Amino acid sequence: MTALLEADSIVAGYGGATVLHGLSVTIDPHEVVVVLGANGAGKSTLLATLSGQLPFTGSIRVNGETVSKVRPDVMLRKGVSLVPQGRGTLTALSVMDNLLVGASTRRDKAGIQQDLERWFSVFPRLDERKDQVAGTLSGGEQQMLAIARALMSRPELLLCDEVSLGLAPVIVQGLFETLREINQESGTALLLVEQNAELALEIASRVYLLEVGEVTASGSAEQFRNDDSIRAAYLGY
Amino acid sequence: MDIFLTRVFSGTTSGSVYVLIALCLVIVFRSTSTINFAQGELALLTCYFSWWLTEHGWNIWLAVVPGVVLGFAIGAIAERWLVRPVRKRDESAVLIVGLALFTGLNGLDGWIWGSDDKVFPRMLPSGGDSYFTILGARLYYDSALIITIMAVVVLALTIFLTKTNVGLQMRAVATNPTSAALCGVSVGRVLTLSWGISGALSAFAGALLIPMVPPGQLGLGSMFDVLIFATAAALLGGLDSIKGAVVGGLALGIGLALVNGYLTFIGGSMSLTVALLVILAVLVVRPTGLFGARRLERV
Repeated sequence: MTALLEADSIVAGYGGATVLHGLSVTIDPHEVVVVLGANGAGKSTLLATLSGQLPFTGSIRVNGETVSKVRPDVMLRKGVSLVPQGRGTLTALSVMDNLLVGASTRRDKAGIQQDLERWFSVFPRLDERKDQVAGTLSGGEQQMLAIARALMSRPELLLCDEVSLGLAPVIVQGLFETLREINQESGTALLLVEQNAELALEIASRVYLLEVGEVTASGSAEQFRNDDSIRAAYLGY
Repeated sequence: MDIFLTRVFSGTTSGSVYVLIALCLVIVFRSTSTINFAQGELALLTCYFSWWLTEHGWNIWLAVVPGVVLGFAIGAIAERWLVRPVRKRDESAVLIVGLALFTGLNGLDGWIWGSDDKVFPRMLPSGGDSYFTILGARLYYDSALIITIMAVVVLALTIFLTKTNVGLQMRAVATNPTSAALCGVSVGRVLTLSWGISGALSAFAGALLIPMVPPGQLGLGSMFDVLIFATAAALLGGLDSIKGAVVGGLALGIGLALVNGYLTFIGGSMSLTVALLVILAVLVVRPTGLFGARRLERV
């Protein structure tokens, strides 16, 4: 089986500062993978690179095809979509328009309509507020919107950057359950970067541990949950 | 009452002119967050071009069409090959590009067509007795037409922005370019298109307004005052708001007409000073303008 995404020896960073030092990760179709690591380990940089926002050396292949252009729309067309940290809400636009912008790379009107109905049924809160200006939504609703918007491109791989950031635990719990359902029902693979490691490990099957821009450990989620030193360092119990 | 209404009509007329150029500034600001100081000079160049065509026997309405196309091209080329490369290095340097374009285009006009004033044909009929009488006040046909044209342009622009796919992408880029790019919007294309549309609209507006604003002829300085008034109007309404450009332009036009009419000791030549005071007051008191969300930064 070809991997959905293979990133090999990635070196990337901002300006003169290299953040990722030859990092490699693989994600299989339908898989849920979590990336753990301290602040500054390069988790967000990894997602920025995989979503076509940062130039890199090394190679990225999606479904066996090598990525040659650093552009978000290229990655979207290959099936990789990012839920950005801080949600990236198009604040002046309505909820509906936010979702339509999420479908920018698509031309199939009927399919777009179908997906709108689908995500409105998964997130009824968004349905109720679809004509409302997105900037007036609560944090949790904006996070739902960010997820739904990223899904509007029909990705095979959804990259989630700190979905739980700044949200109440009960809302985070709900979001993770929804993410798990999306993974199970549509087979969308998930790559989660998450402070809330405990929750992420619950829905993930595999883990990468990042330290200073390199993968220092990887394995099944179960292994990680049972590893005392990992638990002490990242789960806090 | 009729004197008052006459002044309001005349203010609405000049206000409509300001609205048209202010809209061009707003379209550019929404895309690249800068005031394009060269907007007036861009219109001036296309006006010279249209004038040159009329000298060769073209009807003015026909001559404006290639002018509008040229305006689109200059705007689009300026964004793609001047603004974008500079902006990558330094956002504030884009203003300098605007100033360079300002002097460059003006110099080019003088070099090609000379510095003497040209008689620019009127696009709209005018004359001493071509007016409606409303409640005793005179509304001239050309005034009524330019107000109508302004309303049609605003309506068309609004429909374009709210009902089309490209318009949706332009609004997305205006509110959050990074996020729009992540959604697959080709931000570069949107920026080029915005500058192009702005250039095309200013070409059309320029040809309309040249005979209507003093001195009524086409000269190298024709656009200086208009740009200042339009900038004041756009700032007043909010640099990123279409509605703001309309309200700001009309308010400025009517306000100046009333000030000049009733406060005669100030004198008509003080209009520019009043406009500059408006700019200053907005920047100090309410930098986002009446309807804007984003303020002008790093100027």
